[in-house]
Amino acid sequence: MKAVEVMVIGGGPAGLCAALSAASLGAKVLLAERDGTPGGQLVKQTHKFFGSEKQYAGDRGVHIAQMLLDKARVDSNIEIWTDSAVLSIYEDGVVTVEHEGKHAKVKPGRSIIATGAAEKFLSFPGNDLPGVYGAGAVQTLMNVSGVKPAERVLMVGAGNIGLIVSYQLAQAGVKVEAVIEGAARIGGYLVHASKIRRAGIPIMTRHTILEAFGEKQVEGAVIAQLDDNWLPVAGTERKIACDAICLAVGLSPLAELAWQAGCEMAYIKELSGHVPIVNEFLESTISGIYCAGDVSGIEEASAAMVEGRLAGISVAVSLGHGGGAAEAMQREAMGELGELRAGLMGRHIREGLAKMDSLAAEFGIRNSEFKTPHAAAELGIGCEVQDISISATSPASALFSSGVPANEDIAKICPSDERFAAGPVAVVECFQEIPCNPCVKACNRGAIAMPRDINDMPALNARLCNGCGRCIPLCPGLAIFVIDMDYGEDLALVKLPYEYVPIPKAGQLALGLDRCGRELGRYEVVRVMPGGKRNMTHTVALAVPKELAMEVRAVGVL
Amino acid sequence: MRIKEHPVLSFERGGKISFYFNGQEIEAYPTETIAAALHAAGVRKLGESPELHRPRGLFCAIGNCSSCFMIVDGEPNMRICVMKVRPGIRVEEQKGKGVIKT
Amino acid sequence: MENRDSETIVCRCEDVTREMILACIADGYETLDEIKRVTRAGMGPCQGRTCRQLIAAELSRHYGVSMEEVLMTTFRPPAKPISLGVLADAYASENG
Repeated sequence: MKAVEVMVIGGGPAGLCAALSAASLGAKVLLAERDGTPGGQLVKQTHKFFGSEKQYAGDRGVHIAQMLLDKARVDSNIEIWTDSAVLSIYEDGVVTVEHEGKHAKVKPGRSIIATGAAEKFLSFPGNDLPGVYGAGAVQTLMNVSGVKPAERVLMVGAGNIGLIVSYQLAQAGVKVEAVIEGAARIGGYLVHASKIRRAGIPIMTRHTILEAFGEKQVEGAVIAQLDDNWLPVAGTERKIACDAICLAVGLSPLAELAWQAGCEMAYIKELSGHVPIVNEFLESTISGIYCAGDVSGIEEASAAMVEGRLAGISVAVSLGHGGGAAEAMQREAMGELGELRAGLMGRHIREGLAKMDSLAAEFGIRNSEFKTPHAAAELGIGCEVQDISISATSPASALFSSGVPANEDIAKICPSDERFAAGPVAVVECFQEIPCNPCVKACNRGAIAMPRDINDMPALNARLCNGCGRCIPLCPGLAIFVIDMDYGEDLALVKLPYEYVPIPKAGQLALGLDRCGRELGRYEVVRVMPGGKRNMTHTVALAVPKELAMEVRAVGVL
Repeated sequence: MRIKEHPVLSFERGGKISFYFNGQEIEAYPTETIAAALHAAGVRKLGESPELHRPRGLFCAIGNCSSCFMIVDGEPNMRICVMKVRPGIRVEEQKGKGVIKT
Repeated sequence: MENRDSETIVCRCEDVTREMILACIADGYETLDEIKRVTRAGMGPCQGRTCRQLIAAELSRHYGVSMEEVLMTTFRPPAKPISLGVLADAYASENG
């Protein structure tokens, strides 16, 4: 039997960060990853992450994975086992692992379960036909193996995963026929929705899949509209021809090991399923077993990374490592979690974690003087829970069902005619309180501000903005554009973010597309600026008729 | 079909190899899983379900489910979504739960 | 709409359809554990990772109870299939 100080189970964002922080305080860590390479779902994320600098906002998931893994590999306190699925945790804390084709037993001082999540399945006729994929499978085929999963895809679910995978499919040259969503509102970030709308992908809220059909594999789907009771409306059925149906209908915590270990569990719907009850340090009801990331509640990967870090620090502290610095590190991580969860989008997480807190108290594991990161209110971070429909700054409801900002939304953020006359200026089309602030840092003139916290919508000071366009490729949501109304007699220059292939070339004509991906005309590409090796977002400057400067929002290569 | 050009990713696939699917030779790259190589070759039906004999394909691609079970070099129930291609391996559609080798 | 529950798969591993799950519920079975024992749903190689939530949702709907109140099954090692050969080797090396 192998004895280790800390065993981290799962090498995704939470597990890698847990291993790194525990090791940084001097703990010896064994990290077990079932796949051949650690990184978890990060390795499939080609989009830029949200959050703040501390959670690597603005970096692409695939690059974050590489960076974390590079660090872990050279850390002499970390041993990594790959192709090593953990089979069980027993009552005495012994962990068994299938490692290099052998059954290995490990006796850790502390364990951190960071096993992530599994995708939810959906019940409809034909749901097992080849070509019905989980969204993760589509990402794996396309972004890890570089193989197109299909030619024409129907996406089911407009949460962040459904929206992001649709965008990635478009980037890989696959046609997304539609994104359908049962709810009346798009669940994911609106900037993701707007991106795919500009690519011409329709989003149909209040729609569901009735069946998948095909002889030996998917040949199409029947979809229908839903009424207020979530029942299909007769007569609205329609066939969509496609060769794949991608299910992005949510994740459930993969908590089998916590069940096995005997951790007290609870079904908390806001956290997407049965989760181990953990305290403010992420320790479960079994002393020495910690849980971090999606396994203790489904959230964004940025939160999983911070939870991993917090669990790693806490474990190291409990083993006597770290000294006085550790407490400050714990507080810092808790503060970051509070901030990530403070906005409107984090509301259900806060509600779920409030339940978690009272359960933890009930089981006697909630015991420290630490303010929990769970309830952001306690941290005094702006988090008055308000309904978006009554928020003064809230966008028109059409944006939430379509992903396309309405005229009244645009009117709120559109610079004045006087400002347009004074030279190039940024137009920030970010209409939702999401935890994300790279645009603030991007502007070295201080023209973009978030007065309260990272969940604010960016406020542009148009007088300070000189239209340099530095913010365009740095906005993870690709929601910032620069317009120079003074470019020519009748022409305005519109600078747009671009992440497709092929790259347009200066001097050529390209299609100018509106916010729904409709062609407005063919215009000259004046300049193309690469975003650089790490950023990779090009900025394309298109000369368009002045009256279309506030309409053209995407480029299509002819 | 393999993606040749991508705005963010570059795929280093290494030298071409081949393996067999139901006896038929299929080109692949050593960095690919069997599932990816079969998809690139247009094969999406990987087997038949154990009781109702429904066609089955890839579903989760990370070794969570059982949808991609195939027979590899005579051994059934192989999770080909997480198993790398090796030159000359023989991959067959699995119908049913598999039979123990004798 | 015609009933297509026989073409709707709930448990992929054991080929259990929605029709079979609803029949169990109609017969009076009330828990995931009972349905698992009767149909084998959740007893296959994935150990219920795809079907458990779907069956729980059917029970919740039918009996009018919240998902919180649907009892979970027991989770036992191993979490992932492992060949008997690997276990036998481990046993042999520990016991000589």
